[in-house]
Amino acid sequence: MKMKKIMAAVLSGIMCMGLCSCGNAGDSGDSSSGSPTDWEYIQNKGTLVVGITYYEPMNYLDENGELTGFETEFTKAVCEKLGVTPEFQVIEWSKKEVELQSRTIDAIWNGLTVSDERREQMAFSVSYIVNKQVVIAKTENAGKYTDTASMAGTSIAFEGGSAGETAATSDETLSGCNLINCEAQKDALMEVKAGTADLGIIDYVMALASVGEGTDYSDITIIDSVELTPEEYAIGLRLSDTETVNKINGAIDELAKDGSLRALAEKYGLADVYALD
Amino acid sequence: MGFWEVTKQLADGFSVTLLIFGVTLLCSLPLGLVITFGSMSKWKPLKWLTKTFVWIIRGTPLMLQIILIFYGPGLLFKMNALPRMTAVLIAFIINYSCYFSEIYRGGIESISKGQYEAGQVLGMTKSQIFFRIILFQVIKRIVPPMGNEIITLVKDTSLARVIAVAELVKAAENIVSMRSIIWPLFYVGAFYLAFSAVLTLVLGQVEKKMNYFN
Repeated sequence: MKMKKIMAAVLSGIMCMGLCSCGNAGDSGDSSSGSPTDWEYIQNKGTLVVGITYYEPMNYLDENGELTGFETEFTKAVCEKLGVTPEFQVIEWSKKEVELQSRTIDAIWNGLTVSDERREQMAFSVSYIVNKQVVIAKTENAGKYTDTASMAGTSIAFEGGSAGETAATSDETLSGCNLINCEAQKDALMEVKAGTADLGIIDYVMALASVGEGTDYSDITIIDSVELTPEEYAIGLRLSDTETVNKINGAIDELAKDGSLRALAEKYGLADVYALD
Repeated sequence: MGFWEVTKQLADGFSVTLLIFGVTLLCSLPLGLVITFGSMSKWKPLKWLTKTFVWIIRGTPLMLQIILIFYGPGLLFKMNALPRMTAVLIAFIINYSCYFSEIYRGGIESISKGQYEAGQVLGMTKSQIFFRIILFQVIKRIVPPMGNEIITLVKDTSLARVIAVAELVKAAENIVSMRSIIWPLFYVGAFYLAFSAVLTLVLGQVEKKMNYFN
């Protein structure tokens, strides 16, 4: 009997502690209201944690399993100028804003498209690439689609929350189609491949790298005659502090002036879309 | 990318899956029993506190719990986040402890009163009765429902990818997005099937071993 009572007391104690610990944590957060700025926080850590997803040619693993790509080398070059160590963290793209705000990452640096909605959530660096959204279709059907008008009544897959969605919903004809909201650009590719969607909208850089011979998507083509809204790529940073943005912009400016950033773009086949000349 | 290369990369993801599975099972089996004692307590406040806790955990998606444990501290309190793997393990252990606790409770309550009375007649204390008479009968009865839950756990580990922990499915998704090949995504099914086949055999053996006094 006694043992049971003691056990009950201990158990309820543990549970209360569990509940209270949340409250305590909040207090300690508030008490340090003279907290360091965002840039000081990054500098104190000595690392810039960069949120990425694997996607060629931006950030991907080479044959030896080493992370490489345009953004990877770009990040390293900027961090060298800033005197911090880059740390690459693979994230779920749909949670990039949450990752940034909860400080599990310090920057989104992965072909991030600038948009007005996103401006409310994060600060952007200068844009370094001007990309565009393209429509993809099965090669055998591609001939049917010459302009957006010919796409009426089709089903169109794109990544939810991406520039592809904006392109689809802002177009008069396309917005009336059967729109399929996917979790990632690669899912839009798979929808088209599986025939569950007639068309897909993905960005040009992604399309260039994944469609064509030697891939599983060799039966998919880009419809060249249709061009959708151009989009700009920039680095996403926390809104709370402009100092981080200024520091990074300064470093990008230096890299653009000495030509090393253009050389990187050429190395990864992005010379067409490079924006900082 | 060849078959063996894909298999090798998926094996890395599979080791993460196994880690989540193993640690969760190891910690939530005993922790579940502690929660059972809480929810069966004669002291009302503890009983209701435990029952509310179990209700919250069982009443919300595990995916949401993982997200909350990982992002919550940083978003709400500006604290540093836990390591990704730790957050996943905490969420899984709490979640599965709650489910296990209810299975345990069902098992304990299914034992007839006569068993307790027999123990009392023999002059045993309450804890002696529980650990020497009741517990083994309970274990025998809960093996099938526990097996169900354990096999569910194998597949639930794939939820860890919501905070970008590279378990088996995420490993396959990485290959799909990087190499533009699709089949690895379906190939992971073979890993899960093989693993649950092993578990089914093990659980069958356990049931056989428990086949005393029948």
